[in-house]
Amino acid sequence: MPRPSPAPHKPRRKGNKQPDFATTTGSSHNVGAVETLTRAPAFPLAAFLWPARGTLSQWELLPLILMTVGLFRWAAGLWGYSGFEKPPMFGDYEAQRHWMEITTQLPISQWYFHDLQWWGLDYPPLTAYHSWLCGKVGSLIDPEWFALFSSRGSHDPTLKVFMRATVIVSEYLIYIPAVVVFVRRYSRLNGVANWSSAVALVAILMQPGTILIDHVHFQYNTVMLGLVVASMSSMLAGRNLWAAVFFVAALGFKQMALYYAFSVFAYLLGSCVFPRINIRRLVTIAAVTIVSFAILILPLVIGALSDAKRGVDSRPDLDGPRPPLPIFQGLTTYLDTEAFYYPVVEQLVQMIHRVFPFARGLFEDKVANFWCALNVVVKIKNYPEELLQRGALVATLGSIVPPNLVLFLRPRRDLLPLAFSATAWGFFLFSYQVHEKSVLLPLMPMTLLLAGNHGLNKGTRAWVGFANILGCWTMFPLLERVDLAMPYTVLTLLWAYLLGLPPTSLGAYFHEGGNTWTQWVTLFIHGSFYLAMAFWHVLVRALRPPPDKPDLWVVANVGVGAAGFSLCYVWCLWKLVSQSDILPRSWLVKKEKAKTQ
Amino acid sequence: MTELYPSLSQCALVAAALKILLFPAYKSTDFEVHRNWLAITNTLPLWEWYYEKSSEWTLDYPPFFAYFEWIMSQVAKLVDPAMLKVYNLDYESWQTVYFQRFTVIISELVLVYALQMFIDSSHGVSKRAAQTAAISILLSPGLLIIDHIHFQYNGAMYGILIASLVLARKKSTLLWSGLLFAALLCMKHIYLYLAPAYFVFLLRAYCLSPKSLFRIQFLNCVKLAVGIAAIFGTAFGPFALKGQIPQILSRLFPFSRGLCHAYWAPNVWAMYSFLDRALIILAPRLGLTVRDEALHSVTRGLVGDTAFAVLPDITPRVCFALTLLFQAIPLLRLFAQPTWDNFIGAVTLCGYASFLFGWHVHEKAVLLVIIPFSLLALKDRRYLGAFRPLAVAGHVSLFPLLFTPAEFPIKTVYTVFWLVLFLMAFDRLAPASNRPRFFLFDRFSTLYITVSIPLIVYCSLVHGIAFGKSYEFLPLMFTSSYSAVGVVGSWVGFMVVYFTS
Repeated sequence: MPRPSPAPHKPRRKGNKQPDFATTTGSSHNVGAVETLTRAPAFPLAAFLWPARGTLSQWELLPLILMTVGLFRWAAGLWGYSGFEKPPMFGDYEAQRHWMEITTQLPISQWYFHDLQWWGLDYPPLTAYHSWLCGKVGSLIDPEWFALFSSRGSHDPTLKVFMRATVIVSEYLIYIPAVVVFVRRYSRLNGVANWSSAVALVAILMQPGTILIDHVHFQYNTVMLGLVVASMSSMLAGRNLWAAVFFVAALGFKQMALYYAFSVFAYLLGSCVFPRINIRRLVTIAAVTIVSFAILILPLVIGALSDAKRGVDSRPDLDGPRPPLPIFQGLTTYLDTEAFYYPVVEQLVQMIHRVFPFARGLFEDKVANFWCALNVVVKIKNYPEELLQRGALVATLGSIVPPNLVLFLRPRRDLLPLAFSATAWGFFLFSYQVHEKSVLLPLMPMTLLLAGNHGLNKGTRAWVGFANILGCWTMFPLLERVDLAMPYTVLTLLWAYLLGLPPTSLGAYFHEGGNTWTQWVTLFIHGSFYLAMAFWHVLVRALRPPPDKPDLWVVANVGVGAAGFSLCYVWCLWKLVSQSDILPRSWLVKKEKAKTQ
Repeated sequence: MTELYPSLSQCALVAAALKILLFPAYKSTDFEVHRNWLAITNTLPLWEWYYEKSSEWTLDYPPFFAYFEWIMSQVAKLVDPAMLKVYNLDYESWQTVYFQRFTVIISELVLVYALQMFIDSSHGVSKRAAQTAAISILLSPGLLIIDHIHFQYNGAMYGILIASLVLARKKSTLLWSGLLFAALLCMKHIYLYLAPAYFVFLLRAYCLSPKSLFRIQFLNCVKLAVGIAAIFGTAFGPFALKGQIPQILSRLFPFSRGLCHAYWAPNVWAMYSFLDRALIILAPRLGLTVRDEALHSVTRGLVGDTAFAVLPDITPRVCFALTLLFQAIPLLRLFAQPTWDNFIGAVTLCGYASFLFGWHVHEKAVLLVIIPFSLLALKDRRYLGAFRPLAVAGHVSLFPLLFTPAEFPIKTVYTVFWLVLFLMAFDRLAPASNRPRFFLFDRFSTLYITVSIPLIVYCSLVHGIAFGKSYEFLPLMFTSSYSAVGVVGSWVGFMVVYFTS
């Protein structure tokens, strides 16, 4: 084993302790005798952190890790963003920039009403406040960037640097601290050693999907994801009230956080009911949640009231009487439209209307979820909208009830990532209005499993890796549209390489002491998906789709993706059920046999 | 201790991923320089290579490098023929960028191979140190900034240099070491600065008998002479036949350029210029005369003649004499004790002397010091003490090469990452010396490293906010003067270590 040479002269650092080899690696892998004796790293990422075992304190290692992942993020950001020089509408980048423009230039009451055809604000208020802050800072550097109207579609290269910087700063303020703390708590909970948790931390932070979407394609998902991780992390620490606050903040940043809402609810409720009913806890959680929501919308409410008082109309573009409410029109029968509070109602209804676009179809683009895949077989778009909505609701509920029931009955902290990912997979696969980027939501908690018990073991690594690589692959059409095939290739392959996954290595599939049957079955399933992905890439590069079916490649992508994600859902659910000890032991054994045969 | 982790190839792979991600980054005119050379070598007959001047970036590297460009141009033809048109100035289609950037990454495999040779040539306890030093060279921020962002092919060149240095380690491969170095000289003539060390070492260790100075090993002399003649013949022969040698030499050694390069390289002339600037302010009080015409022309980011206002002017002759003098001193010791460690030390010191006193030195040349020194830095703590300020100063002095906001985080974070990681690792690995260390020197280097932080902050942020675009030369001057102090300090330190070990 490589070890530092005998301490030269006077050791500067206190206690340059000789690492106790058996205990560090033994507890780090938690796999008993087999890997305790390993004298070689199992995959390249472990090799990179190999010299850090035992001797380096976390405070020396952490800055290096944060610098490395930051470098990869910034370098990836040198590539183009969505909608770069793609008029007339440009893309997500323009949307985010435009929100900075309207929030800094317009009175607060007009934010949700301003020119909705041009990337109207359709995210919850926290995003608007975040945009306002970024816009204010950016205007100090160059006011032209966020000038009303004239800045639309700007592709000033310095603006790009600024926008990239806002993403990375937001991430380093929210997502990264949250993940660092979560990984530390979760590893400690599972008895995983510091070194292994550092490996898991790098693996989580190098996750290609989030880098590609946030730092290359451009969005602020990590802010929302970070708030959710902070919420989970608070649950691990037993601070349920903070968990509620953080989760409200996540919802307030991006409505997509609803994917996790059921799990948060199930866990918090479960922890109030089991092992004994605790009404006080329930009431305080509910109260804190309501207060957080109130604080969240407070600036909007105050803004609406003060603007109304000053006579600033929320819709200066319209003459004549107030237009009716976009949704909940029934409200007006109970409310006085001339009352002082009416602008607030109008504002909040408009916000909800913008944030939850009920009026859109079941799915927009081609997404690797159940409905889109089903559409290939049955043209479901021809069915009445009502029926589809109801069908989506039933299917979603059917998929998310089992994991959340387990979490409710067994509100154990170590089950959180599994329950969150199973629920988010359920939502992703069956719910309404899913976007391909939403795959980041189930991937986040699933990737956090790497920090847990056996997380870096081959079984978990293989599945987490499979989900991530498949996830990136389903986002390829999105990235390819703006010529981002290169960063996609580099970041995905790099991650696969670091974690010893296909297509770079088959090492994650075979380990001694495991069930040979399960290993072969897993390899067969994953292997066929990896082959399909590789073949698809070759196909896309080599051939044009037939003229009558221009979307054929994308449809194939969607079909394979949906099938793979369904497997991920089943795996998460299965792991959750088996780890929660909710079923009698004998059942499990039987089931396991049935599964392997 | 069968294998060390992470291995060199693992590091190379991950570094390559980062380098590919840097494809769209800023690239200097050197990118166009090399594209132009691809075009020249591909489309023109050999005899016109050194005469062609459609572009201002004429071919000014020796013939082997031109052959190398010719080989690459054979592949470039398949990628995008338009980049091979001589008149296609400033052409940069994405295929061209991908192709040229990829060639840098692929040619760097030479460096990886050479470093692996270096690791394999070390045994026992020092193997781990060798591995760390090799990785530090592979991941050097200097190479990342110069090759993969700014654009050049230093990785491959230094790979050849390291391979040659490693070959010198064993008696049986000494000849190959010399020949490889001769070939390197025919690729890039900047390595001439290191040639005195090679000359002395080969003379003493290969051409003369180890036992007596007066017994000449004739067979070895013949082998070396024939080999070198063959290499230079291959490189320059075709041109010599047409009598083009004077033209090539005028391209390779443009003496018309000024003392300091566009940005001041951190050498004694930077300190000299700084002193001159300071004296302009102090001159009236000291009763010195100030030459008025010089006041407005001191290198403010312009290439050209440097005129000093107070201090006497420097001629190329003075530079040359000083360089040779400070190269000769360490060479005497090498001649007396031709060990491999002394050889590497002498190569490093030759690099130092030429960098510190040379005429028109480019800040990129600091790699000429850092890279050979890295091979030796882990010998013991005294060497490391001299290496530390060099590592900081050398890399900080490269910062002005990249001035665009998008690359600012890359250059700073990467350099800080490298310094933290490797200075920490080196600190653990360097064994104690059996000689006393210099108390003051360690304090100096700690203080020195600390000063770099406010300096970088001032140069990159505060100055821009406080003065905007005016006084642009100030941060450059501070950076180079600061770095010059570090390089000179580490030079003095290393001289002492070299002569006392």
